[in-house]
Amino acid sequence: MMRTFRGGLLIGLAVAVLVGVLAVIYEFYDTRTLKRTVRRGEVLCGVNKGLPGFSIPDDKGNWTGFDVDFCRAVAAAIFNDPSKAKFVPLDASERFKELQSRKVDILSRNSTWSMARELDYDLYFPAVAYYDGAGFMLPRARNKETSLDLTGSKVCVQAGTTTALNVSDYFRANNMKYEEVKFDKLDDVVKAYDTGKCDTLSADVSQLYALRLNLSKPGDNMILPDMISKEPLAPVVRQRDDDWMMIVKWTLYAMINAEELGVSSENIDEALKSKKPEVMRLVGTEGNYGEQLGLTKDWVVRIIRTVGNYGEMYERNIGEKSKLKIPRGMNQLWNAGGVQYAPPMR
Amino acid sequence: MTDYRRLTGAFIAALSLVLTTSYASAQQPDRGDEPGLIADDAYQLDPEWQKQVVYFRTTEAPGTIIVSTAERHLYLVQPGGRAIRYGIGVGRDGFQWQGLVTITNKKEWPDWTPPAEMIQRQPYLPRFMAGGPGNPLGARAMYLGTTVYRIHGTNRPDTIGTKVSSGCFRLVNNDVADLYDRVPVGTKVVIRQKPEL
Repeated sequence: MMRTFRGGLLIGLAVAVLVGVLAVIYEFYDTRTLKRTVRRGEVLCGVNKGLPGFSIPDDKGNWTGFDVDFCRAVAAAIFNDPSKAKFVPLDASERFKELQSRKVDILSRNSTWSMARELDYDLYFPAVAYYDGAGFMLPRARNKETSLDLTGSKVCVQAGTTTALNVSDYFRANNMKYEEVKFDKLDDVVKAYDTGKCDTLSADVSQLYALRLNLSKPGDNMILPDMISKEPLAPVVRQRDDDWMMIVKWTLYAMINAEELGVSSENIDEALKSKKPEVMRLVGTEGNYGEQLGLTKDWVVRIIRTVGNYGEMYERNIGEKSKLKIPRGMNQLWNAGGVQYAPPMR
Repeated sequence: MTDYRRLTGAFIAALSLVLTTSYASAQQPDRGDEPGLIADDAYQLDPEWQKQVVYFRTTEAPGTIIVSTAERHLYLVQPGGRAIRYGIGVGRDGFQWQGLVTITNKKEWPDWTPPAEMIQRQPYLPRFMAGGPGNPLGARAMYLGTTVYRIHGTNRPDTIGTKVSSGCFRLVNNDVADLYDRVPVGTKVVIRQKPEL
């Protein structure tokens, strides 16, 4: 009788230890990014090594840029502290694999959302942060209004890029003749354009504005307002990690909705007193969306107070208040001339 | 003793100079119009306020004017998802308005008769000023509906991009002349303000 009791006790103890060990293992190897991030106390952001306006470190290692700020917004939503974002510079070639192998929590690295990338790497692009596309830069004096006026042009383009393919497709589709002037290195492309060896330079529009800064007379050159391809830049997360995906997606949408509702870092305290239902749901004085996301009621307030709304993030880094001065264009809100459109928060 | 007195005098003079300049610079953002000041039409606007063609998606017909008070931009809608964007100066806080109006009249080098409510607020303004280079309405004016507001030129190109007016929209003289030639009487004008909290 006594022996059976002791045996039972031992078995019970063994089961308890086993369960405990399993729980610890489960806790540490939990693949849910939100949990891992909270335990670590910081968000690991995969960023570009140096792209002016989007992500670039200064000589003291302080990062600035549009992609960098978006990651800070995610950190602010979780920790109420944008400095809890840690930046991991990644090469273009390794970035998706590094995300897949959990080296980073989120990729905020001027990456074009495409179907193949989601399928090949088991990834998910939650929402478009910046609508980019191939476009044309040309001397202002040429007085052209659209890409369709470029027939017969000598086009400078970097060899082996999707831009080169887009340019050839575009001119062929419109029965327009052109002469391709190709170089392997981007610097050579820019030099050729600057010395008048071609009539126009084609690259992604965000890149054209950056390249223009290095020309001998930046102000004498303009970038056409139309684009000939789709390059939607978006943050990236892993598939089957829905809690985390929801946080990244709604952080961006909250910033866009804040701009649309007129809520900014300058008036966030007034916004907290607002009686407008849409504003109240945004700042959490009504509803509990933040808690449902696994965050706090004031998660959007944390983002707006520290990083600002979408327009503030845009203007500071790549817009009129920055060196690049990229007009909002397609990235203007849907009701102000652009296509930036966030689903409502209700 | 004299040295001390001289020093104190110099100190007070310096202090008052510092105070007046800092007072003046604190006042600067609220600069109004200066009747009689001749516009420097060679004034170089920041790129943000220079006339340029931009991507602009809208269901409004080409030829429509859309004013974004918060952005300080005036868009003239063009075919093909584009617009000509001009930099503007807008009304001070409390002097901003929104809605749909049409252009009801157009004048070159307009005379200026500040409305009664404006005189009441700024009694130092002239009761009437003939059109010409020193006139705050500048080179052209387009009347907006039956309101007292206009889209007009300016003699203060440095006020483009700011909020200083009494509700009018001002462009530099080159730009307002360009816009004037592109829009007829009857043009639809949509004025959009920042949403209220």
